Amino acid sequence: MSRKILLIDDEVGFTELLKMNLERTGAYEVRIENDSTKALATVRSFMPDAIILDVVMPGMDGGDVQAQLQSNPLLARIPVVMLTALVDSTELSEGAVAQAGSQLVLPKPVNLPLLLNVLETLLVRA
Amino acid sequence: MEKHSIVESVLDNLPVAVFAKDATNDFRFVLWNKKQEEVTTIRAEKALGKNDYHLFSQESADYFRSVDKAVIKRGSLMNVPEEIIETKHGREVHLRTIKIPVHDAETGRTLVVGISEDITEHVKSREQLERLNRHLVAANQELQQTQLQLIQAEKLESIGRLAAGVAHEVKNPLALLLLGVDYLAQGIHPDDPNIGRILHQMREAVERADRIVRGLVDFSSQRALTREPTQLARLIDEVLLLVKHELTRSSTKVSVRIEKDLPLVYLDMSKFEQVLINLIINAVHAMEKSESKVLKIRAHSESLEDVVKNQGARKREVFRSGDRVVILEIFDTGHGIAPQDSGRLFDPFFTTKATGVGTGLGLSVARRIVELHGGELSLKNRENESGAVARLILPTKLETGRIRTRPPDPQSEESTPAARKERKEIDTTAEDLTP
Ligand SMILES: Nc1ncnc2c1ncn2[C@@H]1O[C@H](COP(=O)(O)OP(=O)(O)OP(=O)(O)O)[C@@H](O)[C@H]1O
Ligand SMILES: [Mg+2]
Repeated sequence: MSRKILLIDDEVGFTELLKMNLERTGAYEVRIENDSTKALATVRSFMPDAIILDVVMPGMDGGDVQAQLQSNPLLARIPVVMLTALVDSTELSEGAVAQAGSQLVLPKPVNLPLLLNVLETLLVRA
Repeated sequence: MEKHSIVESVLDNLPVAVFAKDATNDFRFVLWNKKQEEVTTIRAEKALGKNDYHLFSQESADYFRSVDKAVIKRGSLMNVPEEIIETKHGREVHLRTIKIPVHDAETGRTLVVGISEDITEHVKSREQLERLNRHLVAANQELQQTQLQLIQAEKLESIGRLAAGVAHEVKNPLALLLLGVDYLAQGIHPDDPNIGRILHQMREAVERADRIVRGLVDFSSQRALTREPTQLARLIDEVLLLVKHELTRSSTKVSVRIEKDLPLVYLDMSKFEQVLINLIINAVHAMEKSESKVLKIRAHSESLEDVVKNQGARKREVFRSGDRVVILEIFDTGHGIAPQDSGRLFDPFFTTKATGVGTGLGLSVARRIVELHGGELSLKNRENESGAVARLILPTKLETGRIRTRPPDPQSEESTPAARKERKEIDTTAEDLTP
């Protein structure tokens, strides 16, 4: 049974490649939303099991999207992985993944094995 | 009689001191006017018939006598721009004196006639001016220094902002590239080994670019440190664990000795891990071709005074005297530092390693981090052995966090009487003997 993942990021090429990589594992069904202002609507209609969310985006940034999700009790339960190209993002070792809550920040460029690991952990927990 | 008293009253009303000595009679004084009485605080009755040795100190008299003799020998006027006599009350009087040899045909006597002007006030105001000037120069230097620091800080801030912006823009395409490589790597055709190599190199290239960008941001970031009291021994243990792979792979021997009861240091742990990893990896690289590969890590504490004595004066500017500091040294048995490189090791992007191996940011970032902690980092060749030693000096107090370069103390030079005298003597010999 494949899990549904929603990618919210304005970088079109990046989301496309991430989708390919995730879908190739056979474990995920992936949808892309490149326009963050439509993020909430897409989340509602797709109802993903997990969201991968970019931090810096034009219009609404990752933090705004996150806040919208949190204000809706139904959507607040969906685990979110934040991605950021900002350098002073919290860097995570694999050990830290297990300890952190449903909100994680991973640096770009993304370490794919680490991301897969994080998703697994979050989805098992959810 | 009449003539005599006219001359006398003229002399006594002159605003300059006038005296005459009889060179043919042991340089005894034969003339001593009113102003000369005032200047020397010696009355004419006491002075006439006596010579300099009766009236002044041995040292002064020697000096006067030597000038007198020189005047007679030359047979022409001599100018003494500045001389000092001490009065009985211990006051110093500065004089500018002209000495003239006079031959009296009638009596056959040779006289040395002196005319002195009291320039004490003038000298005093000159000295005051000089002192003021020195203060001004010092203040000016400090101003320039501050300005430089400001410019430097401003530059760093804008570079920091630029670097952070560039980093963000560069990291997105890098992220895309890496995902592309990840995807392709899953489906390699086993019959074409080149594809595997190419993908591997592409992945490394992405990681390298990412490191450079990160290094640039680290170098220019003004981010505040999160400092916590740290046991150096623990930090070193952790770092050694992180670089264990590199050490075993290169078969480097490690010896760690840390003084017992070393004072705590206030460090940003993750930043300092980065510093030590940089230094250790550098050492490992330097030892690549060495026969014996030994990494020696030593730490001890010292009082600042000893550090200044042993390491030169720069430390004084960084630490306050009386502070205890911790010294951490990392010795290697590598190729050491070539003389032409020693001045550039800490420049960003300076590297002697092959393109792709080193970015040349390691040491500059490390030094910046150490300096943000109020410490110092140096890298030198070892004294009696081949190889290099990286030396960290770390404050043991939290508040020792500011590097301050102080301008030279304006009072310190030329304030001792000896120094003043020396200068004066140089002055006189320089201008004195011009006819
Ligand atoms: N322990 C050492 N012994 C001899 N030379 C050294 C040592 N450490 C550094 N160097 C010299 O200093 C240069 C600069 O070092 P730095 O760490 O700044 O950059 P790098 O090691 O070349 O690259 P990277 O950015 O990967 O650290 C090195 O290329 C090397 O020539
Ligand atoms: Mg290095």
